[in-house]
Amino acid sequence: MSPEVLKKQNRTALLLMVTAVLLVAILLSLPAYVFRAGVYTKKSSNTVVGDEKYLSVLDEVNAVADEYREKGFDVSVSESVTERTNSKGETTSLVTFNISQEFTRNGWSFLGAGLSSSLILVVLLSCTLLSLACAVAGSLGTMEDLPRRLDACSSMLRSAAGFFALAALILVPVFVMNNTVLFSRKLSLYNAGTVTDGAEAFYRKIGAFLFGDSAGEDPSGALKGLTFHSTAAIWLTVVPLFIMILAAIQLRHGSISETLMRGLLYAFVLVVCVVTLYPYYVMLVSAFRSNAETNDMYFLHLLPTKWIWSNLQDIVNRGVLRYLLNSGMIAGGATLIAMLCGIPAAYAMARMNFKGKKAFLGFVIMSQMFSPVVLLIGIAQLMSTLKLNDSILGLMFINAAFNQAFAIWLLRGTFVSISPEMEQAAKIDGCNTMQSLLRVLLPMAAPGIVTTLIFIFINAWNEYTISTVLISTASNRPITVGITQFSSFNMIEWQYLFAASLLATIPVVILFMCIEKHLVSGLTSGGVKG
Amino acid sequence: MKKILAIALALCMVLSLGAAAFADDDITLDVIICQYGPNTQEWFLGKGMNGTNFVDKFEAENPGIKLNLEVVSWNDVYTVVDTRIAAGQAPDILNIDVFANYANEGLLEPVSQWCPEELYNDFFPSFIDQSVIDGTVWAVPDLASARALFYNVDMFEEVGIEVPTTWAELEDASQAIIDFYDGEVYPWGIDMTTDEGQAAFAYYTWGNGGGFVDADGNWAVNSPENVEAIEYAIGLINKGYTNPSPATQTRYDLQDMFAAGKLAMVIAPNQLPTYVADKGGSINLATANIPANEGKSSSSVGVMDRVMAFKDESAPDQAKRDEAIGKFAEFFYNPENYVGWVSMEGFLPAVNSAVGALVEADPSFGAWLDVLGGCQFYPTAKAEWDQVKQGVIAAEQNALTGASVQAELDALQAALVG
Amino acid sequence: MNTLNSKRRWMPYLWLLPSIVLMAIFVVFPIAIVFKLSFSEISKSGIVGGFIGFKNFKDAIGLPAFKTVMVNTFWWVLSVVGLSTVIGFALAMVLNQKFHGRKIARAIVVFPWATSLVIQASVWNYIIKFEYGNLNNVLLNLGIIKQAINWRSSYTIEFIWECWVGIFVTIPFVTFCVLSGLQSIDASLYEAATVDGAGFWDKTWKITVPLVKPSLTVSTVLNIIYVFNSFPIIYTMTKGAPANKTDTLITYLYMLNFYDRKKGPATALSVIGFVILCICAGIYMVTVMRKEEEE
Repeated sequence: MSPEVLKKQNRTALLLMVTAVLLVAILLSLPAYVFRAGVYTKKSSNTVVGDEKYLSVLDEVNAVADEYREKGFDVSVSESVTERTNSKGETTSLVTFNISQEFTRNGWSFLGAGLSSSLILVVLLSCTLLSLACAVAGSLGTMEDLPRRLDACSSMLRSAAGFFALAALILVPVFVMNNTVLFSRKLSLYNAGTVTDGAEAFYRKIGAFLFGDSAGEDPSGALKGLTFHSTAAIWLTVVPLFIMILAAIQLRHGSISETLMRGLLYAFVLVVCVVTLYPYYVMLVSAFRSNAETNDMYFLHLLPTKWIWSNLQDIVNRGVLRYLLNSGMIAGGATLIAMLCGIPAAYAMARMNFKGKKAFLGFVIMSQMFSPVVLLIGIAQLMSTLKLNDSILGLMFINAAFNQAFAIWLLRGTFVSISPEMEQAAKIDGCNTMQSLLRVLLPMAAPGIVTTLIFIFINAWNEYTISTVLISTASNRPITVGITQFSSFNMIEWQYLFAASLLATIPVVILFMCIEKHLVSGLTSGGVKG
Repeated sequence: MKKILAIALALCMVLSLGAAAFADDDITLDVIICQYGPNTQEWFLGKGMNGTNFVDKFEAENPGIKLNLEVVSWNDVYTVVDTRIAAGQAPDILNIDVFANYANEGLLEPVSQWCPEELYNDFFPSFIDQSVIDGTVWAVPDLASARALFYNVDMFEEVGIEVPTTWAELEDASQAIIDFYDGEVYPWGIDMTTDEGQAAFAYYTWGNGGGFVDADGNWAVNSPENVEAIEYAIGLINKGYTNPSPATQTRYDLQDMFAAGKLAMVIAPNQLPTYVADKGGSINLATANIPANEGKSSSSVGVMDRVMAFKDESAPDQAKRDEAIGKFAEFFYNPENYVGWVSMEGFLPAVNSAVGALVEADPSFGAWLDVLGGCQFYPTAKAEWDQVKQGVIAAEQNALTGASVQAELDALQAALVG
Repeated sequence: MNTLNSKRRWMPYLWLLPSIVLMAIFVVFPIAIVFKLSFSEISKSGIVGGFIGFKNFKDAIGLPAFKTVMVNTFWWVLSVVGLSTVIGFALAMVLNQKFHGRKIARAIVVFPWATSLVIQASVWNYIIKFEYGNLNNVLLNLGIIKQAINWRSSYTIEFIWECWVGIFVTIPFVTFCVLSGLQSIDASLYEAATVDGAGFWDKTWKITVPLVKPSLTVSTVLNIIYVFNSFPIIYTMTKGAPANKTDTLITYLYMLNFYDRKKGPATALSVIGFVILCICAGIYMVTVMRKEEEE
């Protein structure tokens, strides 16, 4: 690109940035929120319009309204009547009086209001200005004698311009959401008296923001029944901010589509990770709440007010460690047995030719087609015949058998993908089949074997239904059955259920983390050739 | 490799032989107990009985009898018991709610075979009557609970309404509550879940002079009274007077809503106040009769669970086995143990000898015992009870999605009779 | 010579023996019992009676909820297997790119797999509770919604949630199967295609999909089987309520067996399910594998 074109590009980009900042400023001065402050609400049940009770309440309401007018509010009084005829033919009515006023506030009015939103707005605006400043600073001196390559400093400044614009962009929804929390959620909780901590300070700030000085010392009365709706003004600032990002990319001489794709990639990965981790977040925060807080119907706290670590102690006292140990033994034993039986079978399938090979593969898949739930009676009969009911050993064999198909399919794939030449060489050196398998093939197939191990371990670790029926001694239960004691006839103890679930998940996750690398490479061989 | 396999197999055989050879003169009783509350398992197997537990204490006091006791959650208990029976491993002693199928299929040992007479005479006679088929007593009650209407006193005062006694008044009160709180509070709780929808059927049909059976004790699920009652209940839901998802919101959900002040009225077991306190609820609650239709009498609903003994033809010494089961029962119902068991989860007792101590510990028990005296119970002694229970739940749930109550109940009745 | 020959002939079967014995005892025997039971009379408490021919099957097909349940099962398998395959595929494509934090992202994606279905279903059941669920909690406290939303306002929506949980727990398996397939693709193929002027979609359809197909085949067959037989999600979240409208075959036959105590038809249903599964998985495998062989 010629210096002339570059120069022109840079100028346009800078111009765009300035325009965007101006646009943001304009958008912030448009009306953003329309509040309707129900200054005073009075409900009077069993009241008929015109009767004595009605008149006395009406007087009361008018007196209050006058009081507000004296303070400088521009209030109006409205009343609504809900009339019902009850089953006995009597008319009952509920009269609701409302003294209210409408206010409009724009983005700028948040500045200096001392609310948390004000702080966010300040940061947002600073980011916007910083972005512009960085863009200008990064272009200084390079505009006239455009060098082909930007020096490190101006390159960094131009990148910073992009990042500041991105930060501002992200802060827009944060600002909007924070306002919703303030004016809808927190206010309604304080109004209902569900939360009282810090109510005074909160009312004072919101009151000052909405009414200025007219609300007086205690604006709480004026804030009852506040409703609001927002215009699109704040959301629209996203557009100029996005333009700023594009301009910054342009300044950096980057490819816009590539940078955006990259950004999308990160955004996608971020979303996936957040969604995936969400249930675990729920488990974590619920596991350490108090019993009462797990059923918090007012949604008061994102996080436990007090982290009750003793919940862990409680579930340990109720035998959870023992159950974890049992699960570990069952899963470990099952994995061992499944591998001992599966490796020779898979070896035969991969390296030998014989009649019925395909039939055997089909049989293996077919054996997976019954859910263990369906086979309960058969399994229970079998285990009592073998005297293996109520034993961990029995569960090992059952789990091993139900994972044979998996083991054989995966291992066979792994073995097939490994060239037989090495084994043949070993045989020429005097090894028998068994030795060549143990010394040559298995070490080479390690990733696939590890994968299979993990699969079977997890399946066995998570098995539930068969254990419920087979195990009758509490001390033999695996963790999946053990946690059922937390949901009883009288109540569900969510906090214990989740604490135990978390404990049951951690070992498997750690196992996974250690093995992740092997997992993918192992599946490669298993999947492709399987 | 094959060596390891052989060793593993050998080990397994040795272990199983060992288990078989271990059996000596001791009698081992397999016992299945349902998980009533957070303390059940601790009490039977942990340290919940003053530092010891039921099994240890029993075995210490009754040498020669071993207990293989298992606490199973209600969610799994039918699966566990049925599968064991099918595999020929029925327990010796079972604690559950139903017994008719087991009795009809000849699996149970009559109570007279194993229950010591003194203990037998201690049970409330009206409870024993619930476990009789063809003149034989097949099971004994282990505990009971009574259901009544609980309401949020403060809400009723704030709205300015009286506690409803009839269905019409219930609708009025519900509408008033909806109006006053702008729909923020559900006036009435209904549970038509697969877990306990039969209770809803009882609450409304019994309050309309109907019920599962007619005066002669024959199934009459499609009586006009029943149809009217269920249509009324569905009407409450459709008018928006209730919790939003009655088909999946269980009793726990309703109790939680009530404790949090989101529900004004709920029909619940007598343990509700304890539950509310446990949940940190600070609401002001009171009880009243379950509303009935105009001109019909209100009826309390009682729920009772049972203990029963299974036959075991393979036992070498039947008399000795019966005696062991009797000892288990005597030990279980001994006030020293039984009072702790019943009060632990707030249930009501089934034997006279426990009443004194319980009333002394908590005077409110007395009032509940009176309620229990006038309770109606599910017809669990009838063989088709399972089918009826699931049938009425399905009928309710179908009605929730728009089906005709009359047609649903007619179909169920036809399946029962025809 | 003769002994050597026969030894060679018998060797493979000897190697298969442990596996065959294990499966014969612990899998085939219970399956055989199910087949036997499906033709026997079974009492309400589970006592097995005599042979009654196809009566259980006739009763099973005559059940009023049979049609609903079959339709549900179809949607359940189709949506869970289908969507988890699509999403898992896309996710694998993304995770195959090079970017900062890829290792962590891969580890996180695997999480749902590591948690048992019972737990996973309980957590989601708790999350979507209207009155105190965590989803409402988070959305309200972050200011994304103004008022708590009833996330399970009808049974159709509840069924969709159940499908979502099914998809959620199935994605990791598909992702990792595809990812393994992707890693084996030679990068030069893409370079050549780029030189030829192929766009992103061209490359995806003409190079990636065909090469990943074998690993997708295996994962899809196993998925169909696992999803069809998946029990804890629906049982924990709705128990099929209202009136079997959210049941799939497997939860329905469980309820039929242990709640309604119609054990005969329930057993027959499980055999019917097995046959359906055999046919579907069989057709899929035969067609896909034949195509592969042709290619």
